[in-house]
Parts: sequence; structure tokens; C-alpha cells
Amino acid sequence: MEKKQVIWVIIEQVQGKTAAVSLEVLGKACQLAAEAANAQVVAVALGSAIGPLAQQLPKHGADKVFLVDDPRLELYQNDTYSSVLRRLIERERPDVVLIGASASGEELAPTLAAQLGTGLAAHCTNLRLAADGTLTMLVPAFGGQVIGEIFCPVQRPQMATIKPGVFSPVGLAERTGEIVQEDGASLLYDAEIRLRATRLVVEEPPGMPIEQADVIVAGGWGIGSRENWRLLEELAKEFNGAVGCTRPALDQGWTGGEHTMIGSSGKTVRPKLYLGAGISGAAHHMVGIKDSGVIISVNRDKTAPIFQFSDYCVAADFRDVLPELLAQIRRAKH
Amino acid sequence: MPEFTFSPAQEMLRKAVREFVEKEIEPIAHKIDAENSCPMDVFRKMGALGFAGVIVPKEYGGAGLGLTERAIILEETARHAAGFAMTLMTHQLGIEVLLSYGSEEQKRKYLPELASGKKLGGLAVTEPSGGSDVGGQQSTGELKDGKWVLNGRKCFITNSSEADVCVVTVRTGEDAKGRPSFSAFIIEKGTPGFAPGREEDKFGLRGSGTGDLSLNNCQAGEDAVLGGVGNGTKMALAAISKVGRTGMSAISVGILRGCLEEGVRFAKERVLYGKPIAKLQAIQLEIARNRVDYEAARLLTYYAIGLKDAGGSCDAEIATAKYFSTEAAVRAAKRTMDLMGGYGVVNDYPVGRYLRDALATIPSGGTSHVMQLVIAGQTLA
Amino acid sequence: MKGLNISVLVKPVPDPGCYESIQIDPQTGILVREGLPNILNPADKHALEAALQLVEQHSGRVVMVSMAPPNALETVKEGLAMGADEAWLLSDRAFAGADTLATSRVLAAGIKKLGLCDLVLAGSESADGGTAHVPSQVGEILGISHLTNVTWLNIDTDANVRARMKMENGYIEVEGALPMVIGVSRGMNVPRYTSLPGILAAQDKPVKVLGLNNLGLDPGSVGLAGSPTQPGKLSRPELKRQGERLEGEPAELAKRIVAIMRSSGVLS
Ligand SMILES: Cc1cc2nc3c(=O)[nH]c(=O)nc-3n(C[C@H](O)[C@H](O)[C@H](O)COP(=O)(O)OP(=O)(O)OC[C@H]3O[C@@H](n4cnc5c(N)ncnc54)[C@H](O)[C@@H]3O)c2cc1C
Ligand SMILES: Cc1cc2nc3c(=O)[nH]c(=O)nc-3n(C[C@H](O)[C@H](O)[C@H](O)COP(=O)(O)OP(=O)(O)OC[C@H]3O[C@@H](n4cnc5c(N)ncnc54)[C@H](O)[C@@H]3O)c2cc1C
Ligand SMILES: Cc1cc2nc3c(=O)[nH]c(=O)nc-3n(C[C@H](O)[C@H](O)[C@H](O)COP(=O)(O)OP(=O)(O)OC[C@H]3O[C@@H](n4cnc5c(N)ncnc54)[C@H](O)[C@@H]3O)c2cc1C
Repeated sequence: MEKKQVIWVIIEQVQGKTAAVSLEVLGKACQLAAEAANAQVVAVALGSAIGPLAQQLPKHGADKVFLVDDPRLELYQNDTYSSVLRRLIERERPDVVLIGASASGEELAPTLAAQLGTGLAAHCTNLRLAADGTLTMLVPAFGGQVIGEIFCPVQRPQMATIKPGVFSPVGLAERTGEIVQEDGASLLYDAEIRLRATRLVVEEPPGMPIEQADVIVAGGWGIGSRENWRLLEELAKEFNGAVGCTRPALDQGWTGGEHTMIGSSGKTVRPKLYLGAGISGAAHHMVGIKDSGVIISVNRDKTAPIFQFSDYCVAADFRDVLPELLAQIRRAKH
Repeated sequence: MPEFTFSPAQEMLRKAVREFVEKEIEPIAHKIDAENSCPMDVFRKMGALGFAGVIVPKEYGGAGLGLTERAIILEETARHAAGFAMTLMTHQLGIEVLLSYGSEEQKRKYLPELASGKKLGGLAVTEPSGGSDVGGQQSTGELKDGKWVLNGRKCFITNSSEADVCVVTVRTGEDAKGRPSFSAFIIEKGTPGFAPGREEDKFGLRGSGTGDLSLNNCQAGEDAVLGGVGNGTKMALAAISKVGRTGMSAISVGILRGCLEEGVRFAKERVLYGKPIAKLQAIQLEIARNRVDYEAARLLTYYAIGLKDAGGSCDAEIATAKYFSTEAAVRAAKRTMDLMGGYGVVNDYPVGRYLRDALATIPSGGTSHVMQLVIAGQTLA
Repeated sequence: MKGLNISVLVKPVPDPGCYESIQIDPQTGILVREGLPNILNPADKHALEAALQLVEQHSGRVVMVSMAPPNALETVKEGLAMGADEAWLLSDRAFAGADTLATSRVLAAGIKKLGLCDLVLAGSESADGGTAHVPSQVGEILGISHLTNVTWLNIDTDANVRARMKMENGYIEVEGALPMVIGVSRGMNVPRYTSLPGILAAQDKPVKVLGLNNLGLDPGSVGLAGSPTQPGKLSRPELKRQGERLEGEPAELAKRIVAIMRSSGVLS
């Protein structure tokens, strides 16, 4: 019989709340465990006073949870987090370690991989686990124009990061799992802490987080001004939706900020409906919306590339169409 | 003939200017044209980066490079905004006369600020009565009590209202054979009696101001005389050939590249009969012609400029390059509009502007007729 | 602290404006990227800008380190034109096919060879591979602290570092001390344009090309051989959709869009 595969998912928490991406990755891990028949899913949670959070993890697919609760782990910081995880991994020898490619995960994963001397696949868009334990990791490169398979044939664990929004969480209300309390003191020594994370400053984005919105109204460079941008915001508000943007629009300062940029270096979104205006359709942006339900685009250039990636193409000036659309939606709702 | 390549430093310069132009100029190119406004802030930035003073020797605060490097800068600027390139090109025309004919004192006084782009330069020769006919200039300069008093009117002068330092030619007497002789004066903006007049509403090369300059009992000291009394025409004509025509030629190469690139982009994107029109042979022929015109203009232009940089006498080669490149730019722009169908005439696309700019390059620095006369004159000599 | 010795990691990459024209050879399955113009990785210009500003503030020296084929030298020199003092190109056939760990080993060896270095700056991610691994991995291999995605950085005269690391909804403020590796995020600064005097000065600045032997590396630790990850097949994701063109006056267009919104369940 094949050895039982063990898949770890590193859980990210911010101020005691589990990051959505961690649950998404946990969901994927359950699916991989099912693919490879005989696999076990283990969640590893680090933080301070996060017991309640750990209790919830079995309901999202963890067969077992390692909990490292230590005041020194309150805020993420790469040398504390990586020291703890490296010792746990060296002790437990999991086959696979998955980490959400959040801002901190993107730093923690390569740090850990270098310490362990193992391979890491970045920003995976899909994963497959064969019965023999081989993990196939699909990674994007060249701004999403190319997808490559990555393997880690010799070293263990096989490690991958996964972008937010790529997979879906699972909810298994009945499921219970073993929770193993680890002793922080034996996993982290004060002498090895070189960096101090002094504070977390939260700049809460106003409105609906873009990853969760059913409707996204997105704008690009073609919107032209902050004034015009308000039109997008009003449209989004009608649906309790979110406004997304391209990088040039972000750079112009018209948008809600970095967290609303969609694409290879921004968010991956999958709304039911995406309405894009003044966006040319560069691959960097399009890879972030490819899983959307319906894509409608408005561009005054009939030959704009975005039309090749849209379900409905409106070749017109957004200044003509969107005000009219807003008026009609308002009428339709009353 | 040797292999035709640019040095690594020249390639690096091209890349640097291209990056600047794509970030700072391309986004406002349409606006510059629509409003016929010259973005002086962009000019000053180019000055600070050393682009405006490229041909000024290091001892006067420039980069000390040649006309080839200057042409690279103009070509890259004109790729997106030929009108604005015209401002830069004429600034350097003003620099050239100071550089070649100025006294040490004059060079020290004017060149550093012109090189760094803190000040804008110009050269005023053309008059209502004399463009091609340089000898037809009517403006006069008279020496009275140790001061020159200038009177008359210049027209079609680039940077007329913005230039801080302008070299102006006027009739100051007669030569031995009784023909009028001309002298050049360095006149600073704000000098009493010296003022910009009306600005032309040009249909091309918008974004460079072109207009009248009036001289109304404008007083100039003897230290304002450039290159000696009576040498004005010779100097102006030499500078117009060396820096003016080579500059117009480089600007045309920029327009030609714009036509080529925009044509290719459109041909690949526009779908007819279920496939991009680039697959249609008729369209391919247009693209090929654009390519040939661009390559030929580029070779002629950099060849002539290379000769000049090497110190040769090459007015005919320069005239050939200017004549061919400006006319080729007109052809290519028209051709590109043709291949775009109805979209070609819509101002959302830049190609209509390219055509207007290309047409306006023809008279600037000497008309195609005059270029052919220069070429023929040397060929028949 | 007597001036800062800063290494900046720079990667020549194919111009992102051309990624749409990248093809995969159907026979060999290899990426066809010939003819694509190379540029300095955009994020690395921000790293270089940060280095130049720090040296303007503290005095010191900026050396670029790059692992790339020999023909990338001209691209690396663009950094000299921006203001770096020297460039080291780490180039060897044996380095080909490296993953991020094998790349980081070579870069770390280059930095060690340079000798005393107070600060290593890198871009937070490359435009082509885009893994964002290298800054942290170089830090680990050098055995010094590291931070990436840094949007704000302050170094005082006692070599204390304060930095802000970008998070989803804000930032974490971190304190540490030099030496350190820092991955610079685009948000930190606006890179300067390359000036003509800069280009001229660049032509005479020192450039060193070093290979496997100069760096004292084991061939088994670099390139494809030294990479724990191995590449498999490449493909291009299919993004295309069957677009239906909506035609008509604005009012009509809006009506069609409202209908589509209804049928997709976002409007009742
Ligand atoms: C399709 C594809 C997928 C890939 N997927 C993976 C993967 O999942 N895992 C993996 O380990 N490797 C992967 N690679 C290989 C990886 O791209 C290369 O190892 C590359 O040399 C370094 O990684 P990066 O470009 O992602 O750098 P990043 O970590 O994104 O770069 C961050 C910064 O590090 C510095 N830097 C990076 N490379 C260099 C260099 N050569 N010289 C100087 N400074 C540098 C720069 O400052 C840069 O801004 C992939 C490559 C391709 C083509
Ligand atoms: C390393 C790297 C990473 C990147 N990551 C991302 C990323 O994550 N996300 C991202 O979006 N970009 C990213 N980019 C940038 C990306 O390559 C493109 O430049 C960008 O997506 C283009 O944005 P845009 O469509 O808003 O602008 P443009 O390409 O300039 O398009 C503007 C469009 O608006 C249209 N338009 C203009 N006026 C009107 C009007 N009145 N009505 C209707 N239409 C109009 C025009 O026809 C045009 O098609 C990245 C680039 C690099 C180098
Ligand atoms: C955009 C622009 C910017 C300019 N900037 C400047 C500037 O900064 N400074 C400056 O001094 N001038 C400037 N000029 C003026 C330019 O040099 C003149 O327009 C040009 O020399 C032609 O002179 P003209 O307009 O008087 O035409 P004319 O000389 O009146 O010519 C009329 C026609 O006669 C033809 N012709 C003239 N002579 C002959 C001949 N011998 N044989 C055959 N045909 C002939 C011409 O080709 C033309 O077709 C600028 C012009 C333009 C359009």
C-alpha cells in the first residue's frame, strides 16, 4: 500500500480572524486528499490567543490541527513564523505544504522553502496530487500569458502558494478533528528573533471587498478622470458591488486603492457579473477576471482586445452608455 | 559602405528617450494637438535630463554629443508628438547658431541655460517677403550712436512667443556688389521693441508655437551681433541646413515609425471576414510600403547626419534626406489612413494627426522645391 | 555608520508590453522569446531608486548584481545610467534553467564575493517569472534578515531599519538592523528617468562578469541541476469568449445590459 500522504495548510490569521485564502486552500487540500485517496489534511495555525479560530478549522476540512499559540506570534513576522514552521516540518515531515499567497504568505513561503532547501511553486492556479504522491503545480508566468507545470521530484515537502480567490472553501459542519497544542517555547527561541513587528496598521477599505462582490464594475485608463470614476462607484453601489481597476487607473489615483486592482499582480476575482469600461484587455488584467460569470465590456475602440474575452461587447463611449445604464437600473429597482 | 548600427550608448539613449516620451508625452499628445498648446513643463524636464542640450559641448553645460544623438531624441519625440518635437528642434537651431558663431562671451552667457532647458531658443529668418527667398528679407538694422536699432517683422517663427533667446537676421547694408547684406542679432525676450505677434493656427505640427515677431525700434548693443556684421545669411543658411533640415528629417522618421506601428497594430486587431485584415494581401502591401518608406527615410537621414557629424560638407545629402523623409511621411500617413478605412479619419486614432504633421514638415526648413533645387544644383555642378 | 554599501539585484526581462506575442513552440514545447526587447525588470528600477536615494542621504556606493546571459549586459548597464556605480553580471552556462532557490544561491554568492555589503535591495517581483521568492531566499542564504513588499523604508545613522511591509488592508511596521535584504514594492518611490549625462557616465563605469568558478559554487547547486523544482509542460491559458456585439443607441444598449443583468441574476 502507498504511504499515507500528508498535506499541510498553513493558516493565516489577522487579529484573530482566519484569512479567506487559508480556508480556500484548505478546501483545495480536501479535494487533493480525495484525489490521492489516502491523504490526510493538516492545518497549522500560528498566533496569539487563537484557540477559538483553531477549533473552527476541522469544519473547513482539516483532519488535524497543529496550534502554536504564543504571544510572540501575535503579529506576522518572517523569522518568528518561519522558525516555528521549519521545526514543525522537520519533525513531522509532511509531503505537501500549501500556503495562501497573501502578502505575508508570499514572504513566508520562500523563506521557509529556502530554510528547508526545497522547491516552491508560486501563485498556483491549480494543483493535482497523484496516488504516488507527486504533486503537479500549475503556475502562471509572463503576466498570465503562460502556464507552466512545476514538479518537485526529490526534495520534500513539495511546497506551493495559491493566490486568493482561486479555490473555494468547503463547509463541513459535522466534521471534527484533533487539535494538537504545540509548545511555542520549544519551537521559537528569543535569540533567533532579529526583526520586530511593531504594529499592524489597518486601512480598512470602504465598501465591499472586491473578492466577495457578486457584481464588479471595473474601470481602466480610458475613464479619464476622478469625476468620471464616480460613475463607476454609483453603478457598483446599485448592486452592493465593488469597483475594480487596472494598473494605469490605480496609478492615476482615481481608484479606491491597491486592493481594488485586478490582475496578475492584483486580485483574482470571480463575480457573477463583471462590467468593464475603458479597459483595453491586457493579459495582465484579463487573467484576474477569467473565471467571472458574465463579462460585459464597454470600449470605444471596436478593435479593443478586451472584446475577444467578453461575452457582450459594447463598442461605445462609456460616457454615453453608463449614465443611461445607471438611470435605467434605478428605474428598474423602483 | 559600412554596416549601419548605432553604438550601445546611442541605443541606450533611444531607450531612455522612448521611456520618457511614452510616459510624459504620449498620454498628452492628443491634447497638445487639440489645444495647440506647447507643454513647457515637459520641455524643462527634457532639458534637465540633458536632451535639450545634447549638442552643446560639456564646457557650456551640455552633453557634447553630435547631430546623430540629437536626431535620435527628435525621432523618438516625434514618434508620438511631432508638433512638440518641433519646439525642441527649433530650440536646438537657435543653439546651433550661437554655438558655431558666438563669441566666447556670448556662448558663456547663453549656452548653459539653453542647454539645461531653463531657457528656450529660436531662430528668426523668414519674413512675409522672404522665406525661400532669403535675400528678400525687409527688416533692417541701423547703427545709431553705438546701438543697433532693428525694425521689421518676422513670420512663421517657431517658439515665437515662448523663446527666451532668439537669433534674428536683418538687413544691415550692402556688400561690395551692391546686394543686400544681413546680420544676425541675439535678442532676449522682453527687450523693448521686440514682441511676439499673432500665432498661426496651423493644421499640423500643433504644439509648437509658430508666429510673428515684430521689431519696433528694438535696440541691440554691439555685443548682440552674432558672428560679425554682414554674415547673417550665410550663418542662418548653414544652420538651417545642418540643424534645421536634419531635424525635420529626423522628425519625419518619427512620424514614419508612427505610421508603421499604428498600421500594424490596426491591421492585426481589426477583424473582417472573420480574420484580422493583416491577412488580406492588399493590406500587406500597404504595410510593406510603409516599411520601405520608413527604412529608406531612416537610412537617408542618419546617413546624411553621420556625414555631417564626421565633418563633411553634405548639403545635398541633407536635402535628399529632408525631401525624401518629409514626402515619405505624407505618403505613409495617407496610406495608413487608407488601410484603416473609416477609422482613419476619426480623431480617436492618431493617424490623421500624423498626416497633418507630415504635411507641415514640408515647408519647415525649406520646401520640397527648394530641396530639389539644392540636390539638382550639386548634381549638375 | 560610514556610508552605505548597497547591492541592488536587477533582472533583465523581456518587455512586458510584448508578452502577448510570446509563443510556445508546438514541437519542442519551449517558450519562443527571441526578438523580444529586454528591459530592466520594472520593480528593480524602484529598488535602484531607493538605493540611489539612500546613498544621496548617507553617502556610499551602489553595485548592481544580476544573474543573466552575457548578452544582457547592455540592459544591466541601463542601471549604471540611472546612477549605480558598478555592475556585476553573474553569467555561466551552468546557471541556465535555475529555479528561484538556485538563482538565489548564485546571487548570494555574488554578494558575498563583493565583500562588505550593508544592504541588499531587490524588486518585490519580476515581470516574467514573477514568483516574488528571490528577496527572501537571498536573505536566507546569506543568513541575514530580510523583508519584502516594502513600501516605506527608513535607515538611521546607527544602521537601524524601520520599514513598512504591505499587507492586504494596510501594512505591518517592522524594525530591525542592517545588514538586511529588502524587496522594494512599486509604491515606495517613482524611479528617476535616465538622463543623458547618466548614459555618458555609464559607459566608463566598472562592469565585472563572473562565472561559476569565480564564485566558487558547486555545479550541482546551481542551474537546472541545482533546482529543487523542475519544469513540466507549458501551455497558454484560454481566455477567449464568444463575444456578442451589442449595437444601437445608448438607451438601447443600456436596455440590453439591464436584461443581461437580470438573466444573470444580479438584478431582480
Ligand atoms: C513559466 C515559469 C514558471 C516558473 N515558476 C517557478 C516556480 O514556481 N518556482 C520557482 O522556484 N521558479 C519558477 N520559475 C523560475 C524563476 O522564474 C527563475 O528562477 C528566476 O530566475 C527567478 O525568479 P523570479 O523571476 O520569479 O524572481 P522574483 O522572485 O519574482 O524576483 C524578485 C526580485 O529578485 C531579483 N531577481 C530575481 N531574479 C534575478 C536575477 N536573475 N538576477 C538578479 N536579480 C534577480 C530582482 O530584484 C527581482 O525584482 C518559473 C519560470 C517560468 C518561466
Ligand atoms: C509586471 C507588470 C504587472 C502588471 N500587472 C497588472 C495587473 O495586475 N492588473 C492590470 O490591470 N494591469 C497590470 N499591468 C499593466 C498591464 O500590462 C496593462 O498596461 C493594463 O492592464 C492596461 O490598462 P487599461 O486597460 O486601463 O489601459 P489602456 O491599455 O490604456 O486602455 C484604455 C482603454 O480605454 C479605452 N477608452 C478610452 N476612452 C474611452 C471612452 N471614453 N469610452 C470607452 N472606452 C474608452 C481605449 O480604447 C483603451 O482600449 C501590469 C504590467 C506589468 C509590467
Ligand atoms: C511649421 C513651420 C515652422 C517654421 N519655423 C520657422 C522658424 O523657426 N524660423 C524661420 O525663420 N522660418 C520658419 N519657418 C518658415 C519656413 O522656413 C518657410 O515657410 C519656408 O522657407 C518657405 O518660405 P515661404 O513660406 O515664404 O514660402 P515661399 O518662399 O513664398 O514659397 C512659395 C512657393 O514657391 C516655391 N519656391 C520658392 N522658391 C522657389 C524656387 N527658387 N524654385 C522653385 N520653387 C520655389 C516654394 O517651394 C513654394 O511652393 C517655418 C515654417 C513652418 C511651416
